Amino acid sequence: MTIGLTHYLVVAAVMFVTGLFTMMTKRNAIGILIGVELVLNAATVNFVAFDRYLGPDRLDGQITAIFVIVLAAAEAALAVGICINVYKNLSTVDVDRANSLRG
Amino acid sequence: MAEHTLEIALAVGVLTPLFSFWALVFFGPKLGKPAAGWFGVVFGMGVPLACATYVLFGWLGAMEAGESAALTANAWRGTWAVLGDVPITIGVKLDSLTVAMYFMVTFIAFWIFFFSVGYMQGHSDEVAGQRKYWRFFAYLSLFGFSMLGLVVSSNLVFLFIFWELVGLCSYLLIGFYFDKPVPQHAQMKAFITNRVGDFGFLIGLMLVYFHLGTTDLDEAAAVFAQQAAAGTGIFASHFTMFGWSLATIMGVGLFCGAMGKSAQFPLHVWLPDAMAGPTPVSALIHAATMVAAGVYLVARVFRLMTPDALMFVSLIGCLTLTLMALIAVVQTDIKKCLAYSTLSQLGYMIFGLGSGAWIAALFHLITHAFFKAMMFLGSGQVIEGCHHEQDMRKMGGLWKKMPVTCITFLVGVLAIAGTGIPGTQIGLGGFFSKDEILAVSYARAFEWDDASKFEESGHGEGHGGEHADVSPPTKRVMLASDPVQHGDDHAQPTHAVLEAESHGAVGAASIFAYTPKLPKWMFYLALFTAYITPFYMMRAWWLTFMGKPRDDHVYEHAHESPMMYIPLAVLAVGTVFASYSLFRPLIADASIVGSAAPLVMAMAGDSHSHAPAIHVAHDFLKVGVGGAFLVGFLLAIAIYRNGLGLGEKLKRAFGPIHTLLDNKYYIDELYDLVFVKGFVLIANIARFVDTWIVDLLVNLFAAAAERFAAFCGLILDTHGVDGIVNGVAKSSRDFGHVVRLPQTGRVRHYVLAATGVATIVFLCVLWASREASDVALAAVSASLGN
Repeated sequence: MTIGLTHYLVVAAVMFVTGLFTMMTKRNAIGILIGVELVLNAATVNFVAFDRYLGPDRLDGQITAIFVIVLAAAEAALAVGICINVYKNLSTVDVDRANSLRG
Repeated sequence: MAEHTLEIALAVGVLTPLFSFWALVFFGPKLGKPAAGWFGVVFGMGVPLACATYVLFGWLGAMEAGESAALTANAWRGTWAVLGDVPITIGVKLDSLTVAMYFMVTFIAFWIFFFSVGYMQGHSDEVAGQRKYWRFFAYLSLFGFSMLGLVVSSNLVFLFIFWELVGLCSYLLIGFYFDKPVPQHAQMKAFITNRVGDFGFLIGLMLVYFHLGTTDLDEAAAVFAQQAAAGTGIFASHFTMFGWSLATIMGVGLFCGAMGKSAQFPLHVWLPDAMAGPTPVSALIHAATMVAAGVYLVARVFRLMTPDALMFVSLIGCLTLTLMALIAVVQTDIKKCLAYSTLSQLGYMIFGLGSGAWIAALFHLITHAFFKAMMFLGSGQVIEGCHHEQDMRKMGGLWKKMPVTCITFLVGVLAIAGTGIPGTQIGLGGFFSKDEILAVSYARAFEWDDASKFEESGHGEGHGGEHADVSPPTKRVMLASDPVQHGDDHAQPTHAVLEAESHGAVGAASIFAYTPKLPKWMFYLALFTAYITPFYMMRAWWLTFMGKPRDDHVYEHAHESPMMYIPLAVLAVGTVFASYSLFRPLIADASIVGSAAPLVMAMAGDSHSHAPAIHVAHDFLKVGVGGAFLVGFLLAIAIYRNGLGLGEKLKRAFGPIHTLLDNKYYIDELYDLVFVKGFVLIANIARFVDTWIVDLLVNLFAAAAERFAAFCGLILDTHGVDGIVNGVAKSSRDFGHVVRLPQTGRVRHYVLAATGVATIVFLCVLWASREASDVALAAVSASLGN
């Protein structure tokens, strides 16, 4: 069996749905952060796969993937900082407790 | 003589009293009782008197040297302001009349100031509980400033300003004791009555301003004469009122001012009441100077008067002189008697001016000022000596107690009665001045229709050139005696005649060509009054000083003081000597330019040798009034020789007439009825209208507005405006409630919502582009196939 584009897309879809599900179900802020990473990485896998299979002579997908990785790193740093601050203020990282912006 | 020296001296004399006023206002209280008075005497009038004396002699010298006309023409003028196109000039009117008036005012005023120091020693200077000694002299100084300013004004506007200032001083001084009701009412009466006249003055002034285009006295006269000759300007107007042309109305308007200030009928009512003021004030303001300002004004604006206006002036003067003399006969108050006598004499002056006796009227003004001021001061001495008793019925026999007052008063009586020896030049002031007025009015009444008697002379003066060279030594006609004897040597300066021509005498001639005859009854009334005057004056003198003392209390107390009789003596000497030889020539000199009217030339002038009419008049008067004073005196002495008995009998015999005279023809009551009651009636009507019409309307509007406001407040505001505002607020709050529902604050809800929306959008896009996606899928599968 030749591994083609479809395989990559399926793996990415599984990762995406797993991340989304994690974001929805987790109450721990770190867990949600992990979900976000999964979603981002699913997108990265898609970019690399489409680049490889649809435009092998072009580097758009590759560059975007690197860009997403950098973005994810920055986002993780920021998000962890937020988590630390939430913990400082509320003594917990349970996002359901951080609901003071509720309508 | 250095240029403008005389003007400077006059101006210094005008301004020193102003300085004195200022100084007394600020430093008077520090100077104390006699010192403030002496300060007023020296600076208020002493310095002006010195200036006046200097000017008088300077002027006489200039007249002799023939420079006076040039001085008049070159008198200083400056522009003070420009109203529209009309420049209002400020300057000094320098001519013989000014010099004569100025000297007269300062001389009399100085001695009255002097008298005042003595007078105020015997009188309380407390007004409303405060000492106001210095204030009396401050007011007197202010009066000196205003009166002298009035005399030297070269411009009608300035004349008017000073005119109002003397009125103000009169008001302040009448009411010096303003804490007493009588002076209070008198001062208001004087002021308000004067306002009536001043309103006329203002109308005249406006007409001068608009139609003549200048307010300078000389320029206005020249323009007036030109307009009369050419029929332009004010003479081109077709406006008439009471049958008067606009030019006549202008003259009458200006004369109205004089009627108020000189207290002419029917505005005379304030003057007798003004006697409530201190006696020096009565002497200075209400006998000698301020009341003469009206006569002075008429003399100054004589050239702006049309024949009709002059006829009105004559009429008013004639009524005043007769009616007031009759009232004086029944007066028992010594000051009131003198007041009515003043009114009558002012009537003579006004009558004389209206008839064309310009010289005689002004001459009478000056002689009258001397003797009337003296008599008032004498009455002040009497009242002071008799412990503030003013009723002549309680006096009598005072000659033993106050000889100087008695003799000086007698001199005044003789002067006002016109005592003199007919046919000679021996006589007192009134003898010359009053007879001259009568002579002129006689000529106007009886001889005027025969114009040829006047024409030559009037014409000759109007066109001075042809006669000037051959004019014989001039003769002046003025009294009931042979005029040749006092032709004297006052040579008529030729340049003065030329001056007259340059001032528009030709135009003036055309104005006076239509001068009507004077009604005969006016002359007869004036003649009749010439008999009345000696009677009431002798009556007053006899009742006061002669006979037996009628009230022991008054008699015991009587005394006189030197401070007060020195001025009396000085003024008596002035009455006897100064007036005829000094002032008559001065005024005659002024008349050439001052009147510029052929009327005056013909009537009183040097043209005597040409005008037979004046001969006739004097021949008649020699018989007619030459002995009038004797008749009057003897009648008075006959009635009052034995006290009041015969007088009382006569009073009962002429009951109704006496009552009428005693009540002053009920004019005050008439004014009370017409003006005061009328005003009250109008006020009541106005109040009724106010209460029932204006207030009603206002209240109706108020009620309607209230209702409307309630409607607006309750209905429109609450349900309309508030409804909109609250509705907007409520709906946005409701909307806010709805939109806040999804904001749960739970991350999973947001993620779920985002996922759901993204899914829906994704499905929609897929469905909308299903063919394109087929192509894309085909392309993908094709590429995968590769």
